[in-house]
Formats: sequence, C-alpha cells, structure tokens
Amino acid sequence: MGFRDMLNSVLGRSKVPEAKTDRLFAMSTAVITLEMNLNLKPSAVAGICFKSMDMSKYQNTKEEIEQLLRFSSKETGTEYEIQKDEYNFLWAILKDKDFEDLVTNIHMISQTLIEQNFGEQILCAVYRFESNGPVYWIYNFKQGNYYPFVPTGKSKRDNSMELRLKSLMEKELPIEKEVGKWYPLWGMPF
Amino acid sequence: MVEWKKDIGLEGRMILTMFLLAAVYLAFLVFLASMGAPQIFILLFIALFMGAQYYYSDKLVLMTMNARVVSESEEPKFHETITRLCVIAGLPKPKLAIVDSSVPNAFATGRGPKNAVVAVTTGLMRKLDQRELEAVLAHELSHVKNRDMAILTIASFISTLAFYIVRYSFYFGGFGGNRKNSNNGLVVVWIVSILVWIISFLLIRALSRYREFAADRGSAAITGNPVNLISALRKISGTMENVPTEDLRKVEGMNAFFIIPAAVSGSVMNLISTHPSMDKRIAALEKIQREIEL
Repeated sequence: MGFRDMLNSVLGRSKVPEAKTDRLFAMSTAVITLEMNLNLKPSAVAGICFKSMDMSKYQNTKEEIEQLLRFSSKETGTEYEIQKDEYNFLWAILKDKDFEDLVTNIHMISQTLIEQNFGEQILCAVYRFESNGPVYWIYNFKQGNYYPFVPTGKSKRDNSMELRLKSLMEKELPIEKEVGKWYPLWGMPF
Repeated sequence: MVEWKKDIGLEGRMILTMFLLAAVYLAFLVFLASMGAPQIFILLFIALFMGAQYYYSDKLVLMTMNARVVSESEEPKFHETITRLCVIAGLPKPKLAIVDSSVPNAFATGRGPKNAVVAVTTGLMRKLDQRELEAVLAHELSHVKNRDMAILTIASFISTLAFYIVRYSFYFGGFGGNRKNSNNGLVVVWIVSILVWIISFLLIRALSRYREFAADRGSAAITGNPVNLISALRKISGTMENVPTEDLRKVEGMNAFFIIPAAVSGSVMNLISTHPSMDKRIAALEKIQREIEL
C-alpha cells in the first residue's frame, strides 16, 4: 500500500479507482490466436456492463451513448441493445460479425462514460467465444486486465479450461494474475 | 459531467480530532513518565491485548454477534451484489455473513481489506430492496476501504491504557518511586487518567461519527446514487412510514374527518427526531446529491 492510499484511508476519502481502457484493445490482436490456435470462434457478440443511476446527467449520457450506437450501427452495421439486469446494472449488448467493430464500440461506450465521469461505475466488458459451450473473456476496467470465464452450468465453471486459457494467452493478453479476482457473471445476458 | 467533490470540512474535522487525540495521549504519556510509572510494561501489556483483539477482530465479532459466514451457493444474490461493488471499488471480495435478527443492521469488521467480513441481519435483507441493500453494503465496504477498524483501534489504544489505570491502579498500589509521596501521586495519576479517558472517549466518538459520514460519502461514490442510501437509512430508522403510499384522493377524503392527518404516525417520528445523527447523515447525503446533480 502506497503513501497516497494510506493518506486516503486515514482521511476517509471516498475515492473509487478510475476505469482503465488502454489495454482493452489487446483483444483485437489476441482474437487471431484465439481463433487460429485455440479454435475459439468469436460469437460475434460482446457487451459492456455499467451501473445505472437515477440522475438527469446520467440520462443524458445514456442518450448520448444510444445516439453513438445508432450512428455506428448505420456505419458498420453493428446491432445493439440496451437492457437492465436484476442487479440494476445496464448492459449494452453489441452484435457484429466483424470483431474489430465490437472492440471499437465497446471502447467508444466506455470512453463516453469516462468523459462524463461515470467511468468509475463501469463493471466490465465481455466478449463471447464458442468452443463446446460459451467461453467468455471478461475485461475488468479497474484492474485493466482480462480473465477467462467458462460456465458449464447454472453455477459451475470449468476451471481447468480457464487456467489453460490463461497459460496459453498470457503472452498476448494482459491477464489478471490473482485468480481470486476472476469473478464469474452467472446468467450472462448473451 | 458529474463532479465528485471532496468534503474538505469533514477531512479537516477528522484531522483536528486525530491531532487532539494524539496531543492528549502524548501529554498523558509524558505525565505518566514524570510520575515514574513503569509504562513500558503497561504499554506492552495493552499493546499485546489490543493487538490480539485487532488481529482476531473478524472472528471475535462474528462470534459475539452470532454471525454465520455464508457461501456463494447459499446466498448467490448477496454474493453477486457485493462482488460487483468490490469490482467497482477495486477491493478484494470480503467474507459475507448473516446474523439471524429482525433488527435491520449491517456491519463490517476485520483488520484490513484482505481479511474483511461484511455482515447483514436477516431483517435488513427483508426490509430493503436491491438498490438500498447495495447502498448499505457499499457503506460497509467503504469502512473496509478506509480501514476504520484499524484506525479506531489505534485511536483507542492509549484511551484503553487510561481506562486500565483508572480501574486497576489501586490494586497495584502506585507506581513505585518515593514511598512518602506515592499515595498522593496515585490519586493524581488516577484523576488525570479519568480525565484522559473521558476526553479521549469523546474524541473517539467524534472521530467515529466522522468516519460514518465518510463511509456514507464512500457509499455514494461507489453506487453513484446517494438517494439509495437515504432511503435505506429512512427505512432502517422507520421514518419511511411518513412517505405514504395511499392514493391522495383516497386519503384526502378520509383526512377531512381526522384532526391529525392519518398518514403521519407520530410516535416513530418523535423517537427519530431525538436522534440527530440520522437527520444529519441524510442531510449530508442530500448535499452530495445536489453536488453531483446541480
């Protein structure tokens, strides 16, 4: 723990870490290895999850995002959908055959949220791949890292597959080193 | 664009309180030294005692509160809610516990973020909806993040020393030194210790209240919704009774026959108004809401 964190603790400052987007793009190159070498096919769907808030400024930001999504759906043909889950978090779900467009749109949404100072409330971005079942790569904005999530049932996950993916992709993707932070997202909306 | 402001006033009061506490403690130690007290031993003893209390705080509190640690399969929704808040707050996920009690309440303990336990009562889970529960959990996580357990343990360290001197100094029969003066000296030590204990008790209480305000701010920053904590606090304290759900037209007709409007249940309100901290906490949260929205 650094001095700054210590000071923030002692003064009870309510600092929430900011979202890091710089390593989000690592997925656009990693996707080639995932597809070619590991036989994981991108499912042409991705999503970003963020907290919903009841304030007018947030409504404006949400509308701005929808406007941008509408625009990009005309430009690149990315389909989008915004829905709320049972924990009151919003999901922007994107569908596009072109993987690069998914990454760009996810980045665009996170950037818009960050610019309006809602970046702190971004939960994660998720890319879905296909193996025998779904394989998800989850990007944690607070850590700036990816981690694999392979659900095999309602609340079971395939740890050996996930650890294999980690060891194989470590060189190409920034992967969360602490396995304890590989939080699952059960009941993924896509 | 939303702007999260720092509460300079709150931080200032917190620093002042900690500074005063340190000054009182320092003066007390100097005084004890001048009385020739074998303070090294007393300090060591208290340090050991409080160290153990601090180190085992999570287990101790869970035991005394009768809290049961729950697994993910037992309480999936509770776990998922706290996981998401931890991801947003950049904290490791704490252990979760449930206390079987109808009184709505929640607490956090443990010596640091890596050993933290967050517990809620069954009453809280029943009474609050998802958003409110989330706000209360974010408040507890802010306590963990701000290391309030550690800070209050350190803050009460010498206060505990004073307390022990007040209680046990007569058994030990003074602090050696000159035999002739030892009885007089003992009385002086005793009185000074009582004073130190009272002053530090008040200061620690003040500090702990400030930490509550800070945790409320933290909850607002994590959830982005100060209102959710406001409505949770209102529900927990019972003031929510005053926000009626009956249709106005229906109530209006009835109220014409009453001298006191039917929707106000007076007794609960009176009890709460004698409890200023709840009003102050809500006022502080309302201020945050204005800061970020207006």
